[in-house]
Amino acid sequence: MTAQDETTLKLRVGVDSGGTFTDVCMFDETHGEIHVWKVSSTPQDPSLGIAGGIEQGVAEVAKATGQKVDVVYFGHGTTVATNALIVGRGAETGLITTKGFRDVLELRRQKRDSLYDIQTQKPRILVTRDKRLEVSERVRFDGSIHTALDEEEVRAAARKLKADGITTVAVCFLFSFVEPAHEKRVKEILAEEMPGAFVSISHEVAPEFREYERLSTTVVNAYLGPIMKSYLSKLQPRLAEIGIDAHPHLTQSNGGVISSEVAQNFPARTVLSGPAAGVIGALSVGGLAGFDNVITFDMGGTSTDVSLIDRGRPQMSNDAVVHGYPLKLPMLDIHTVGAGGGSIAHIDAGGLLKVGPRSAAADPGPVCYGRGNEEPTVTDANVVLQVLNPTHLLNGRMKIDQARAKAAIGRLADQLGLGVMETAQGIISVVIANMAKAIRVISVERGYDPRDYVMLGFGGAGPIHAARLARELEIPRLVIPKYPGIMCALGLLLTDLRTNLSLTRLLPLSADGAPGMESGFAGLEERAQDWFAQEAIPEERRSLIRSIDMRYGGQGYELTVPCPAGPIDGAALVKLREEFERIHKQVYGYVAAEEPVQVTTLRIEAVGLVPKADLKAHPPATGPVDAAVTAHREVWLPETGGFTNCPIYDRALLGPGHEITGPAIIDQMDSTTLVLPGQVATVDAHLNLIIEG
Amino acid sequence: MLDKAKTQLDPITVEVIGSALTTIVEEMGKAIIRAAYSTNIKERQDCSTALFDAEGRTIAQAEHIPVHLGSLLGIAEHVFKNHDLSTVRPGDVFVGNDAYTGGGTHLNDIVFLEPIFHGGKLVAWVTNLAHHSDFVDRGHAHIFQEGLRIPPVRLYREGVLQEDLMQLILLNCQVPRERINDFRAQMAANRLGVQRYQALCDKYGAETVRAAGAQVLDYTERRTRAGIAQIPDGTYSFRHDFDSNLVDGVMDLKVVIEVKGDEIFVDFPDAPEQVRAPINMVYTALLATVYFAVKAVVDPDLPANAGFHRPIHVSAPLGSVLNSTPPAAVYSRTDIGQRLVDMIFAALADVVPERIAAASTGGTLLTTSGIHPRTGRFYVYNEMHGGGMGARADKDGLDGVQVNTTNTANLPIEALEIEHPVMVKCYELVQDSGGAGQYRGGMTLRRRVEMLDHTARISAGGTNSIVPPFGLKGGQDGLTARVELSPGAKPLDRRAGILQPGEWVGMVAAGGGGFGDPKKRDRALVERDLREERISRQAAVEIYGLKL
Repeated sequence: MTAQDETTLKLRVGVDSGGTFTDVCMFDETHGEIHVWKVSSTPQDPSLGIAGGIEQGVAEVAKATGQKVDVVYFGHGTTVATNALIVGRGAETGLITTKGFRDVLELRRQKRDSLYDIQTQKPRILVTRDKRLEVSERVRFDGSIHTALDEEEVRAAARKLKADGITTVAVCFLFSFVEPAHEKRVKEILAEEMPGAFVSISHEVAPEFREYERLSTTVVNAYLGPIMKSYLSKLQPRLAEIGIDAHPHLTQSNGGVISSEVAQNFPARTVLSGPAAGVIGALSVGGLAGFDNVITFDMGGTSTDVSLIDRGRPQMSNDAVVHGYPLKLPMLDIHTVGAGGGSIAHIDAGGLLKVGPRSAAADPGPVCYGRGNEEPTVTDANVVLQVLNPTHLLNGRMKIDQARAKAAIGRLADQLGLGVMETAQGIISVVIANMAKAIRVISVERGYDPRDYVMLGFGGAGPIHAARLARELEIPRLVIPKYPGIMCALGLLLTDLRTNLSLTRLLPLSADGAPGMESGFAGLEERAQDWFAQEAIPEERRSLIRSIDMRYGGQGYELTVPCPAGPIDGAALVKLREEFERIHKQVYGYVAAEEPVQVTTLRIEAVGLVPKADLKAHPPATGPVDAAVTAHREVWLPETGGFTNCPIYDRALLGPGHEITGPAIIDQMDSTTLVLPGQVATVDAHLNLIIEG
Repeated sequence: MLDKAKTQLDPITVEVIGSALTTIVEEMGKAIIRAAYSTNIKERQDCSTALFDAEGRTIAQAEHIPVHLGSLLGIAEHVFKNHDLSTVRPGDVFVGNDAYTGGGTHLNDIVFLEPIFHGGKLVAWVTNLAHHSDFVDRGHAHIFQEGLRIPPVRLYREGVLQEDLMQLILLNCQVPRERINDFRAQMAANRLGVQRYQALCDKYGAETVRAAGAQVLDYTERRTRAGIAQIPDGTYSFRHDFDSNLVDGVMDLKVVIEVKGDEIFVDFPDAPEQVRAPINMVYTALLATVYFAVKAVVDPDLPANAGFHRPIHVSAPLGSVLNSTPPAAVYSRTDIGQRLVDMIFAALADVVPERIAAASTGGTLLTTSGIHPRTGRFYVYNEMHGGGMGARADKDGLDGVQVNTTNTANLPIEALEIEHPVMVKCYELVQDSGGAGQYRGGMTLRRRVEMLDHTARISAGGTNSIVPPFGLKGGQDGLTARVELSPGAKPLDRRAGILQPGEWVGMVAAGGGGFGDPKKRDRALVERDLREERISRQAAVEIYGLKL
């Protein structure tokens, strides 16, 4: 070690750029410590807020430690792609597709999104009909060529698009996932006819069957391509300006990171990157606390994300509908509900209390902010119940008008014929019921019993509701991390590089199908090695995980079954079938032993292991826990049937080994944790709160 | 009842338990779709699930296919009528499909019904229905030709499969391997529902759950009444012709709707007598159809349960096509049903224009079957095609969608061709098919399917080949529906035909009716439609009056 190494702090930086705030999480590799910085986002040009946030945050660390600081890793989660999709600000896109099928994009699956609402509209069609051009070609289901590609038609289509000023093109042919030759040729021709155009090719983006979903994914990818490129091309020079030369890594929806070059070509992979990073953060925090079966509960102001981690593996899904658009991409199986702290409570035409989906958002915010909203929100209910501080929030930075919140809830209470406090608690009960429903989707609907899991509550509103939600679901144990407000940014420091490669191959799960499976995997492994090389991942940090989608012959949905390394021989086939049936039994409750099993898609997950932030354990607390009590407050609890005097603890003063018996409130700058009567919270070596009972 | 007074729950508990009941039926629906075998259920999601209370009232239904509600309405009633409930044991499973004694609306919809016991008491029922693509290439003069008729009978007794009954059913099915595995999926879904409901009872107590279910119905009734009350009182009627290529000529249909305070009466006076063709509807199918239309108009977000039904009164002459008696055939019961929805909307067009739509396409169904050349097994491919939706008062109708009471997903071409010996030649929107108007009717679609290496028996056709979907308020009619055959193919006998290898059939449903005078259409939209080849140059100039 040189002298310089000793005086320069090596910082790994994670930046989560959201709509309101940009969170910067910095990990000091030398001391194993985390530093946090938060700045307002700059939606016009997010790179400004990001660079500013890093610059300020790094300066703070330098000041606090008195050392020089070097940023050695930069992980980034961005909502650029998601927002472009929501507001429809992607590129004007052209499509080249098989003759006779240009309208597949618009016909979708023919289903209306809303069954009874005949005033419903389809989501915006991302390529207008005049920019969807057809060419003669057709591949059959088995990969044989029915109609050869007419290259002249391809050139004519390219010229027409070019003449119309189009520089973004999606290409999707039927059965290209079996035989991509025609799509490959079109890519070559487009390179000649439309040099510099952004081209998104279906067999590269999502080489799986079901034409509409593959096409939709390919088109979304094209639509987002230019905006992602322009974003990244702004970000890099800004980072250089502030002296950061660490190569940016972007989170993808699958929870891994990719280089900015890959993100430019496959922007569709980043649409759920924010919540995915939160799950990865939760995975690591849960792991450090000793839990690898975790349900994540990330509740914010307007929405809540939940997911499930089973035996250390976040659950994945291979397709999802994002803002109305199907995406056939591996994503963490994150379920989102439109309810959060800002959700508005109201009484509907039948006289029942409903919460959401309307939200008071951050501005004007809840009634208690006094900024003009008079409709009570979940936060107002917590203020009235005094679970939240009834006079101020954010360490005194924001004043709270409890009387106003109480008046607003009183109006609802009058309509319901209930007391104000019962109504306030009712708002919480309805929200908890909505959340429980969301968690059932990712647990019981997938064959997992939530009682076997630990709940990890984070996000601004997670810690205050987690205890009740865990009780509702009979989850015995709950973890509130040290920094519940910045799990996404933290997750960015803890992610590996990860890419998922897949190939649809319809084969029997038998000796007849084995050669096809082996050659398919060989092809995927080759692509994985190329990716490793592209990402400059050294040999010893490369890991490949194989899996196979299977179904009983004739079924329409597949289950993903892990496939061990090595040849697909008789023993491997038996093992695969056993594992398939075990999962089938778990998910669907039965086994059809007489049916043959069919392989549909081969998958490889390539992981480039990144050295992780190694969070330091803290020594046991020396002082008594009572020293952390800063006040007492009357809190309304249904368990005691009224106001109960509760101690208020300052989270910053709690240390490992401290034990708190509920009812109690634990406050920190951007979050409040409620411990219910009968529960006990202990502080672990990483300063997490472990709540049991 | 004293019992009810004892357990009057607060609105918050009702909301919390009501939400849990909905979760149960949704979870069951997902379980069927994921575990099913046949393409029709797994890809097209042609199934529904529900919970009934101990009295057989629907307390929650998953929103899949509105017309399925008809079958779900009927089965409990028939079980109650024909079985001594004191003999019902945990683990008994009733299966049924008959339109006249089994509560079904056509024989392909096979319903599974299982009692839920808690603390030794029958507390509720769980049920689900799936459309089985079977009973193909049958006659449709009367219901005996249409497939196996199953009254509600126990397929399981106390959890034990009645093998002999299963053998009887499977022997009457043309694709038994699919049937048995689809049945497994249906069984699994019900098992799940039973467990979930029991867990709910464990948590809150069976009586509280029952009371919450009852109050959810009352709540829904209040919401429904509040919605109906917003429609001006009065009597509204609409008369229209209906055609189907299952019968000759056209039928004269009429609806009379009376809105009185918070109740609505929907009557179909003088409906034509039932016919020797499968377009008849049993009363529960008529109910399900009217419920769909009323819900769409009154409040699309109303929970689907029996409370919603209370202020809605439906009548049609017994023995008519809208309220048929045995042995009338019923296979294509949605043919007329789709039209009835349009007529109800049209009748209310003057009073609630913002909540209705001009007429949409009717159903257009293709079934092909034969010996699969790659497997040597008998196969059935069945698909209902969408088309144009009617225009709305302030926006165009949707192009190429399933309309009104059907909402099945299409079968992906790549899934279809992998599984069945056919090849799709084209799948596209049809120019000038949407009825012209200030707001244009939705365009229909064309899907041509070629038979590969086998001789296929087909059934192809639907409604609207004579009478197009009508426009409203000066909007023009949509394009009529048609079945296209490859040159040289033998013409169809009504819907039935045989296609040789290499021959194809093309399905084109009807386009939606327009809304308002086409001359008043926003010029930018006319230009867009022209640029995107949704309308021809001729239509742009002659119908829309575009100056080029």
